[in-house]
Amino acid sequence: MAILPHHKYPLRSLEHVPTCHHLCWSRARLTCSATTTTSTKPRSSPDQLIIEPRLDRLVTTPSPLVTPTRSRNTSPLLNDPNLLSTWSHRAWVATGCTTVLISLAKSMVAAANSHIWLEPMLAGYIGYILSDLGSGVYHWGIDNYGDASTPIFGSQIEAFQGHHKWPWTITRRQFANNLHALARATTFIVLPIVMLCDDPTLQGFVGVCSGCIMFSQQFHAWAHGTKSKLPPPVVALQEAGVLVSRTQHSAHHRQPYNNNYCIVSGIWNEFLDKYKVFEALEMVLFFKLGVRPRSWSEPNSNWTEETETPSPVH
Amino acid sequence: MATLTLPKHSLPSLLPSQTRRNPFSQSLSIVSKSSQSQFFGLKFSFSSNLPVPSSTPAKTSIVAKVNKGQVPPSFTLKDQDGKTVSLSKFKGKPVVVYFYPADETPGCTKQACAFRDSYEKFKKAGAEVVGISGDDTSSHKAFAKKYKLPYTLLSDEGNKVRKEWGVPSDLFGTLPGRQTYVLDKKGEVQLVYNNQFQPEKHIDETLKLLQSL
Ligand SMILES: [Zn+2]
Ligand SMILES: [Zn+2]
Repeated sequence: MAILPHHKYPLRSLEHVPTCHHLCWSRARLTCSATTTTSTKPRSSPDQLIIEPRLDRLVTTPSPLVTPTRSRNTSPLLNDPNLLSTWSHRAWVATGCTTVLISLAKSMVAAANSHIWLEPMLAGYIGYILSDLGSGVYHWGIDNYGDASTPIFGSQIEAFQGHHKWPWTITRRQFANNLHALARATTFIVLPIVMLCDDPTLQGFVGVCSGCIMFSQQFHAWAHGTKSKLPPPVVALQEAGVLVSRTQHSAHHRQPYNNNYCIVSGIWNEFLDKYKVFEALEMVLFFKLGVRPRSWSEPNSNWTEETETPSPVH
Repeated sequence: MATLTLPKHSLPSLLPSQTRRNPFSQSLSIVSKSSQSQFFGLKFSFSSNLPVPSSTPAKTSIVAKVNKGQVPPSFTLKDQDGKTVSLSKFKGKPVVVYFYPADETPGCTKQACAFRDSYEKFKKAGAEVVGISGDDTSSHKAFAKKYKLPYTLLSDEGNKVRKEWGVPSDLFGTLPGRQTYVLDKKGEVQLVYNNQFQPEKHIDETLKLLQSL
């Protein structure tokens, strides 16, 4: 583990990062997004918060993980209630899908009326390309900053940390359970645009982009699948590079855990990693705000299941 | 910082490499100066042997930036054990002075470990390696211990030396630059190498130069 004292940058550690105490952090880990459907999810109350001088304390603290009572090889996971969809999950996914479909329908109707097809289609394509970038930026932020007690994003952060601990659970997670958080966000953000705007080009962009972002968790789940178990069209789309490939995403779950964040098509991954865009952003945030991303800490500590005696990695 | 002593024969007024007032002009200077500069893997200029256009006049004037052929301002800083170290201590042998953003950040760790792994080659070339960042001595001590760094790390708290040497920052002033200087036996700068995001390259470039000295 880190040898370094946590007070080594006195000038930079002025920020107070409210962090959930590691016990409640880890206790809540497995419950992941299943408990996050309703907005009434019990957050850690303010009196539970402690002021931690450094963000990476969370990571470098050898947290007593909830020992999974079942090993990864035993199967009753399918019955794990945290992986099942609830009616509220399904309702949010239905609302999100409806929103996206309205956007696309409005785009097509307006295009048909005005006989302008090229621009909306081009806008849709750009939406697809940019959704991949958006998914990467979002995933990077969620993976690296904040914790379960972070406003708005806390449950997502917790869910993604859980995903890094137990990546395989995503393949057992039911469809609506996996998508509801992004579907809800899509509804809140996209519905007003859909209602207020009639431009076919803008609707084409918004519809495709939000649809891809909403379904990115499904594409992500497919990236964790095995070739033999995935539907052949999905495998074909992955191999064609339309959807994020299994090999590309598996690299995200290997050391050094700081690359391949994009989970729609994955086309941005090479560029972002080659030019170290996220590393640059991490450095800027570190020097401007003093926060350290999780990916800088001992790679083994909080990203994988094997948490005992992480070997020092340089 | 703000005062620039212009030599008698005036420099062309559009020479950006002498002005370090705002981050933008700093980043311009990265492009325009002739010392090797790389950013995001893109080379803006290539050879370290290119003569700096302004080096002849600049050599005789006190400027805010250390260029090739100059004798940089001296410093006295504390090392990881709290001992004071002056630049003059290294007179008589080549010395690699590398400025890096901060201990325990990914690029700096890679760079520090790369210097460690090639340390024998530096020894063989008779050169000393000195790393400088704004971290305090206890941070340096922990950093050196954790990665078994065999060379000197100096604490430039307040970034005074960094400013005196005119190490440019990156990303429009948001990041402390990663710049390496190689000084020859006489204490003259023979190489200025800047590359924020390919930290290991600093080792290759400095070794290449040391072997040519
Ligand atoms: Zn991730
Ligand atoms: Zn994954």
